[in-house]
Amino acid sequence: MTFRVNFLIQCISSVSWSAMNYGFFEIVFSYTGSIGADSGWGKYEYFVFLATTWLINSLIQTFCMPNAQEFSELIRTGNLDFALLKPIDTQFLISFQKVEWSSLTNGFMGLGVLIYSLSQLASRSPTPLVLSPLTIVLYIFYLGCGAAILYSVMISLAATSIWLGRNQSLYNFWFYITNFSRYPMEIYARSWGLPLFVLFTFVIPVLVVVNVPARLLADPLQSQDTWKWPLAGFALFATGMSLFVSRLIFKAALRSYRSASS
Amino acid sequence: MSVIEIEALEKSYRVYQKKEGLWASVRGLFHREYRDVRAVRGIDLQVEAGEFVAFLGPNGAGKTTTLKLLSGVINPTSGKARVLGFVPWNRDNDYRRRFALVMGQKNQLWWDLPAQESFRLHQQIYRIETKQFQDTLDELTDLLAVRDLLGQPVRELSLGERMKMELCAALLHSPEVLFLDEPTIGLDVVAQHNIQRFLRYYQEERKTTILLTSHYMKDIAALCKRVVIMADGEIKYDDSLAGIVDRFSSHKIVTVLLNDGTQAEKLRDYGEVLSVEAPRVRLRIERERISATLSLILDRFLLDDVAVEDPPLEDVIADFFTQVSNKGSDDASDPFPTEVQA
Repeated sequence: MTFRVNFLIQCISSVSWSAMNYGFFEIVFSYTGSIGADSGWGKYEYFVFLATTWLINSLIQTFCMPNAQEFSELIRTGNLDFALLKPIDTQFLISFQKVEWSSLTNGFMGLGVLIYSLSQLASRSPTPLVLSPLTIVLYIFYLGCGAAILYSVMISLAATSIWLGRNQSLYNFWFYITNFSRYPMEIYARSWGLPLFVLFTFVIPVLVVVNVPARLLADPLQSQDTWKWPLAGFALFATGMSLFVSRLIFKAALRSYRSASS
Repeated sequence: MSVIEIEALEKSYRVYQKKEGLWASVRGLFHREYRDVRAVRGIDLQVEAGEFVAFLGPNGAGKTTTLKLLSGVINPTSGKARVLGFVPWNRDNDYRRRFALVMGQKNQLWWDLPAQESFRLHQQIYRIETKQFQDTLDELTDLLAVRDLLGQPVRELSLGERMKMELCAALLHSPEVLFLDEPTIGLDVVAQHNIQRFLRYYQEERKTTILLTSHYMKDIAALCKRVVIMADGEIKYDDSLAGIVDRFSSHKIVTVLLNDGTQAEKLRDYGEVLSVEAPRVRLRIERERISATLSLILDRFLLDDVAVEDPPLEDVIADFFTQVSNKGSDDASDPFPTEVQA
């Protein structure tokens, strides 16, 4: 936050991005009542989903993104040397070195949209939404899980810079992959959506990131009970596995680190 | 037991050879040519506690790579090393708390923040007690005369001041082993001198084991008794500083002051004349022939004065480096033949 104007501009661009995003889906829902027939994802359920996406993204962009980007840069310039010298876990050190506070504005926008949508859903007919304290606790917990999965994907991508020398496509990759996590799982239920569903649930589990917490909170009507809890259980497993695998990738990458001329 | 023990340590890199031009770049996507660079070729070395050892060698000799291996930044291709009983590249926290690496070309302090803040973070990472931290910091900043600069963003410090701050950061946890990679690079003579004085004082006080690489002979002459010369990834010499001249220089410099200056030209028969400022003549004479030649000169000329010296250390080492780097290449001739000027 040393540079005030820079900070301000970043805040403004974040807010505008959120506003445009919101506006876009307002337009979409002016044409249709819900995503797909009988999926239960009506306008306000989807806005809960959207707000959850923003919340998790803002966590990632505040705490992980600047560090992952910096990590790639440290590898390229050879300045990772210094991180490797410190008597502290290297992954911990490089993961939480920087915080980009301006990205938190997105999170506040998300929180606003979330509260507004939930208040709308509270008068949903025929089954108004009732939130129990347990639901809220679980929601927050699964937000954390979602952030952990995305962190794992990001740190693994960044670690590949050790082998590739330079990984400028980090952001692109990141965008391609997380793009699939932005919509309810139901949209992948048809024809060629299925392979995508399998890939982004079981191989790179980005689909559960937003889907699980949003589903818990918005409680869309159709897809209930039969697979709600198995999915939540799987999300927990996926979080553990993602962290574990990304740790292995990170460690393997450090063994191949070559430093740079000096 | 030695503090540093190195056995047959080897590090090679595979380097992609890129050719010039667009077409070559496209081809490079499918077919790549690599070259193996053996940066360190099976070196052995032992350093005892409290030694101050200099690493000398031309650029690309493997000095920095050796320091990086010893500090665990990179993994070796083969061979063994132990520092303070630890294998460096296992990166034990217990090991990392006990040594430091300072690189003159890179900085570890936060660029936009005052050094003070980086030091605080160091305190947390190295778990230094507040009292001890404050005492060490006071001592270091007094010795290096940078106490007033602690609150200034690092990017607004001069190069010399920044280097002093880097040293502070590296020494806050009172390391037992210190690796210095060209700590005085790019500094002016006064700043170099200050850092040398500080290092000498610090090493004498603390008995820290120090490995230093530098291109400035003055650094080395001022600080180190033991010198290790590396070239082509191998250790070529490991002994005292004074021994370098005996080992690598085959000549001595003889200066004579002739009674009759007009005879100066006749001295060309006795050795390579470096300079003539009649009546003073400087000659380069082979070591084995020195006494025979001197007695001949004394016989035939009337002298007012005579002095026999070793050639300057810089020149001896520069000659040696040139020999090493020309070895094996097609063009072994020196592109800039110059006479030794003392």
